[in-house]
Amino acid sequence: MTSPPPIAREPTNAPEAQEPPFSPAPIEELLRSIGKAARAHQMYLPNNPVYRGAIDALRAAFKPIWEETDEVTLTIAEGEIRWYDTVVAGDAAAQKASDNLAWLFYKDGVREISFSKGFEEIEVVVLLDIIQRTRKGGATEDDLVAMLWEADLVYMKYKYVDLLQDGGGGELADGTIVKPAAPGDVERGARKAVEESRASSIVNMSEFDSTLYFLDEREIDYLQLEIKREYQQDLRVNLVAVLLDIFEAQPDPDLRAEIIEDLHSLMVHLLTAGHFRGVATLLRESQAALQRAPDVTPEQRKKLIELPETLSGPDALSQLLQALDETPSLPPNEELAELFDQLQPTALATVFQWLPRIQTERLRPILENAAGRLAGANTAELVRLVQVADRDVSSEAIRRAGALKAQAAVLALSRILFEPDVERRLLSVQALMEIGSPGALQLLEKAIEDSDRDVRVTAVRGLTLRMHRPALARLEAIVKGKAIRDADRTEKMAFFEGYGALCGDTGVNQLDAILNGKGFLGRREDAEIRACAAMALGRVSTPKAIQALRKASVEKDIVVRNAVSRALRGSAPGMP
Amino acid sequence: MTGPKDPPAPVTPGKPAVLTPPRAAGQTPPRHAGAVPGDGSTDAQIRRAGKQLIFTAYGALRAVKLYPVENSAVQKALAEVTLHSKELIGTEGELELKMSGEFIFINQTRLRLDLDNFASFSHLLALFRAAGVGSVTITADVAPKDWLIFLSLLQAPATDDPAERLTELTAKLEAAGVRTFTLAPPTEPGDGSVEKAKERAKRTYTQSVAATRELMASVRMGGSPNIKKIKRVVQGIVDQILNEETSLIGLTTIRDYDEYTFTHSVNVCIFSVALGKRLGLGKIHLYDLGMAALFHDIGKSRVPQAILNKSGGLTDDEWRLIASHPWLGVLALFQVRGVQELPYRSMIVAHEHHMKSDLTGYPRPIRERQISMFSKIVAVADAFDAATSRRAYQTVPFTPAQVMLEMRDNPRRGMDPVIVKAFINLTGIYPVGTLVVLDTFELGIVHAVNPIPDMLSRPLIRVVSDPSGNVVHPGNLADLAERNAEGVFLRTIIKTENPDRYGIRIGDYFV
Repeated sequence: MTSPPPIAREPTNAPEAQEPPFSPAPIEELLRSIGKAARAHQMYLPNNPVYRGAIDALRAAFKPIWEETDEVTLTIAEGEIRWYDTVVAGDAAAQKASDNLAWLFYKDGVREISFSKGFEEIEVVVLLDIIQRTRKGGATEDDLVAMLWEADLVYMKYKYVDLLQDGGGGELADGTIVKPAAPGDVERGARKAVEESRASSIVNMSEFDSTLYFLDEREIDYLQLEIKREYQQDLRVNLVAVLLDIFEAQPDPDLRAEIIEDLHSLMVHLLTAGHFRGVATLLRESQAALQRAPDVTPEQRKKLIELPETLSGPDALSQLLQALDETPSLPPNEELAELFDQLQPTALATVFQWLPRIQTERLRPILENAAGRLAGANTAELVRLVQVADRDVSSEAIRRAGALKAQAAVLALSRILFEPDVERRLLSVQALMEIGSPGALQLLEKAIEDSDRDVRVTAVRGLTLRMHRPALARLEAIVKGKAIRDADRTEKMAFFEGYGALCGDTGVNQLDAILNGKGFLGRREDAEIRACAAMALGRVSTPKAIQALRKASVEKDIVVRNAVSRALRGSAPGMP
Repeated sequence: MTGPKDPPAPVTPGKPAVLTPPRAAGQTPPRHAGAVPGDGSTDAQIRRAGKQLIFTAYGALRAVKLYPVENSAVQKALAEVTLHSKELIGTEGELELKMSGEFIFINQTRLRLDLDNFASFSHLLALFRAAGVGSVTITADVAPKDWLIFLSLLQAPATDDPAERLTELTAKLEAAGVRTFTLAPPTEPGDGSVEKAKERAKRTYTQSVAATRELMASVRMGGSPNIKKIKRVVQGIVDQILNEETSLIGLTTIRDYDEYTFTHSVNVCIFSVALGKRLGLGKIHLYDLGMAALFHDIGKSRVPQAILNKSGGLTDDEWRLIASHPWLGVLALFQVRGVQELPYRSMIVAHEHHMKSDLTGYPRPIRERQISMFSKIVAVADAFDAATSRRAYQTVPFTPAQVMLEMRDNPRRGMDPVIVKAFINLTGIYPVGTLVVLDTFELGIVHAVNPIPDMLSRPLIRVVSDPSGNVVHPGNLADLAERNAEGVFLRTIIKTENPDRYGIRIGDYFV
């Protein structure tokens, strides 16, 4: 077997050295500039001044060359680059390292490159990119020649030896076995064919009308649309559909195992490529396939269910959220929403963990929505998260439990009321207040005796808001008690208003006594307390309460008088 | 001033051969008057203006052919083409139209071929080629009358070989007093370039078969093949098709029974890329298409060889296994390495290439699907090559013409009719490799589609037997569009024949 000659041979040197038409200095400078720019391209972002400087210098390095010629051709040797037999970069003993430009080209088979005027405008950056990718590329990735081919540069040409192909691949021969025919048989066959055709007019002239085969405008339009569609189709989503079609149609367990493995690997590919619609489709459709496919074994079911579980797991989801938060080009909202829709209850903890950390404004509401949906549909998980040790997760779970009025969370929230952490107790009280169930309100009753002022105030406001009459006795005790007199004005007001809202006429005497009554030696209550009592009477707003308020309308103390006025205004007919 | 060693004839598959017409040694690249040095936008301007010139020249050609000279449509068309040529000369200082392979260059800038211009490009190229014209230089004082004479002469019936036609055309222009058009022959004629092209094609073909064999063997062994080599061979096929497709298409007639699976994949790749080019796909899209086409049957490497090679009838189970190769291909493609991301497009094409337009065929999709354009192209190429090949379960292949007619006329085949039409346009009514009986009692093998667009039924053929029935090798090339002095065609195809009947092995004439 002989091998055809290689595609391109090592450039055969001219018999005698050629004199360069001008000094090699600008060429040397150009190659140095390419080296520097390649390093800058590798190290800096395009907006970095160092990078821009290197690119500008490289572009400038072409200028003196274009004053002499329109095209420069360089020969690549193992460690050096030559121009007219003059070494213009590297030397033969140079190291075979990827930062050696000559070696970088040589090792992939490039033996000659030419730059034409215009290369420095745009294509120079493409070349730098290719150099960088070649330097970083592994053994299985595209080599320089493949990349140059794909780049389809107009102002740079290259010649190469194909190092990938083993010669020509063998001889080419038609293996068909035929039995040679005698000349007489050939002649007879041909004559018969001609005569038959003449006799029967076998030739259909319409076949010969070539214009039948030209595409008309409509057909060209159709093809243009088809080509457009080819490149607009979502190949990844298409592939997901293909794999799941195969899964549903082929019951063979080994095949299904392979497909599931491929789906797992595809999901990673899609995530890496940031193709979240594809991931969403994969997760959604895999569960649909699970419902439809016949003879699904428990093992297959488990593996398919694992797909969304994997993404909802803390590691994968954290990575995803981090990537989304850091990406400069966040996918469209609908795509993200579609992805988050596929998250499983197990994702809740991670989502809660990330919600306070998310920096990207557009991402937060989408994640909030997802959290709301997940929490709403998975109360048990939410309740579990209320009690987890992770403070961020638990706090978010408490907030969500409140927002969702999740009665199932009341017990878990009650435990938090006994925790030393004030902030968490406060969150819990707020959640209980929002839940507003009898159980939650009972807990709020207890919370009005909490050691923390904010917790107490929030609890009493909650009870007031919910008009929780069973709390009246406790409130009355507090209003009558001494401790409230030492509280700040806001707390006092919260408790008195709460009492006023719940007590009705039965509490008016008590409040009237505080507002208008005199004690030992005609001494009145503290002005703030009296003002609070006035506000409470305003909340009662019965004739009896209004009468009590009117008694105090000529009060000298400005604080009390203002409170009375406000209470009277607030209790007037038509006032809230 | 130019580089030290101007590239010789473009023998590498790299850029020189593709993008720039060869420049004679020592020739300085021209500096265009009026062009801003280094201004990349100049090229774009030339491309735009050049495209316009080709459009208007094509329009004028048609007008001259269809209407009398005094018709206003003719006058308008001539005025437009004159205006566009003058504008180009005004900005560029000169105007040279050069033909190289499938490309037209204006002042050494290659015009981009795409779907909305390929008809005009291909028509002009064919006319120039038939007239033996490699380049036309037009001067600033060109007038509509000059264009009229030039275009009329260019379309006159071709009775001589291209070299003679050029001489004749030049003399007639001179006799008509047209001095504004200077014609020159192609830069690479008669210097063995045809042979070189054939050599390149053979190398590309054999390398492609070898790489495909290696790939499929690796998949069969359960390995993870690296597709670097495959990429390179597809790049080679695309280069070859873009430059000179005839040689490579000719090689698809080689039938190696033992290598069927590999040669078939390569053939489908070649046909698909050539068809894609005809449909106006750009280089990178052709590469995508070529990759998908080469991989279309990769699933067969997971079907037991005993079944693939079984010559008798297949049992239902065996048929089911064969029919599983499209989706097995999808799974097999998950194994390949050396890709930045999964070869999605190839996977889709592997899956869909046996689906019909109405989504029957196999496999039957469960989810809603629209068959991809590339799958439709590969389906046509696949069906054509498979039906014309001798395989384990098809000992007598169909003739190319039979297959073509079946694909065109039988809607149950489920081929896209527009793509089939384009395929016939590519291969001619008598595809390359068809054995034909001529009205001269000679036998001929179709060598290439006729470059004259309306001569699809009159391909270039290789005459492989004389009227007395003596089979000759390699035989002479003949253009069936040739006429005698009375304007009668010298040879006409009577019918197509099965080469086995005449003891002729088609592939021998292409290697």
